[in-house]
Amino acid sequence: MTMTQPQLIPPLAAMSDDPVLLEDVTLAYGDIIALNNASLRLPTGSVVGLAGSNGAGKSSLIRCLLGLTLPQSGRIRLLGEDPRELSDAARARLGYVPQTPELIEWMKVDQHLDYIGAFYPDWDAARVADWCAKWDLPPRQKVAGLSLGQKQKLSLLLALGHAPQLLVLDEPVASFDPLMRREFMRTLFDETPDRTVLISSHLLSDLERVISHLVLMKNGRVLLVDEWDALNENLRRVVSPIRLPSGPGVLAQHTGSEDTTAVIDTRQFPLSDLPSGARQVMAMNLDELFVELMS
Amino acid sequence: MLFDINPSAAVPIYRQIIDQVRRMVAGGLLKPGDELPSVRSVAAQHAVNPMTVSKAYSLLEAEGLAMRQRGVGMVIAQRQPVRELPDRLELLRPSLQAAAQHARQLEIPMRDALALFKNELEGDKQ
Repeated sequence: MTMTQPQLIPPLAAMSDDPVLLEDVTLAYGDIIALNNASLRLPTGSVVGLAGSNGAGKSSLIRCLLGLTLPQSGRIRLLGEDPRELSDAARARLGYVPQTPELIEWMKVDQHLDYIGAFYPDWDAARVADWCAKWDLPPRQKVAGLSLGQKQKLSLLLALGHAPQLLVLDEPVASFDPLMRREFMRTLFDETPDRTVLISSHLLSDLERVISHLVLMKNGRVLLVDEWDALNENLRRVVSPIRLPSGPGVLAQHTGSEDTTAVIDTRQFPLSDLPSGARQVMAMNLDELFVELMS
Repeated sequence: MLFDINPSAAVPIYRQIIDQVRRMVAGGLLKPGDELPSVRSVAAQHAVNPMTVSKAYSLLEAEGLAMRQRGVGMVIAQRQPVRELPDRLELLRPSLQAAAQHARQLEIPMRDALALFKNELEGDKQ
């Protein structure tokens, strides 16, 4: 599999009030490069799916964005501010669900919610109580005794209770059953207009329902950023008897013994430019696109 | 009224909604004045992004197929747009693209595929 230069298609024109901005961020742990000049800009109101194989850099990107990890180089703006010196006002507009719930184990559920809620002027205790009831989260139970799924629910409520404008979720639904995952996705759009959501997940069929934009990461780089509808309509998998000329519009190609399988972007590589004998021009869902670009 | 939405299809969700409304109007299942379900209810029911449903409705409105009515929401327009030939050709395009994909998968020579389509067109005339 050869990969052409990573394509960075800015989703929208640069706006100073974009809630998420990373430019040329590089993060290494010794010899291991977690982020390699990764750049990303998310417009307000976008719901962005962050996908990539394990080790592609998804969690590193999120941790750098939130100021939890300090990269070696690059520029980062979170809600217009330096993430390591975030003002209280910006903090009040941010919700984060970490990959592993970070909870205070000895507290009871309702105690924990009240404790975190006290930090936020806009905390909606009544709504949080409603969610607890709806999601079967027992308020009087000790956090230590909760199942992993229940801990994830609690972690989600702690991030949602103040109706944040920017919600960052790192694999938030891994322990949820399909019904709860649907319920969770409905909650994303609950009464907070123009909320920006960045959600990293391996559950691509879940992402397909809700995302406006897709970000694909590979080897610490941002490989692809675009509106998901546009990708769905313009990316095609083709089988060609000869290799395609590499260049813009050819995202990946793999040559086997008989022929070449490629992923093209028909906005830059029109179907009419395909060599004669090319066949199986197929649209792809997110699962199929992931397999073609990541394997 | 329920939309049939398959988020894992290779067709974007907004396009699935548009195509269904077009087909239901063409087939008489939706009549002028009929209400479309609210953006909120479609989004909640299918756990999809409300912006996606909005996008579909806005495009249906731009096309003249549906209109926004104060206090009601989206309804099927009284007068369906008179379509010029290029527009009607565009409506045909998705099904032909699907047919072309099938033809390629089956490795049917272009000449035979075109002959078959011609045959189907002429068959309708009789």
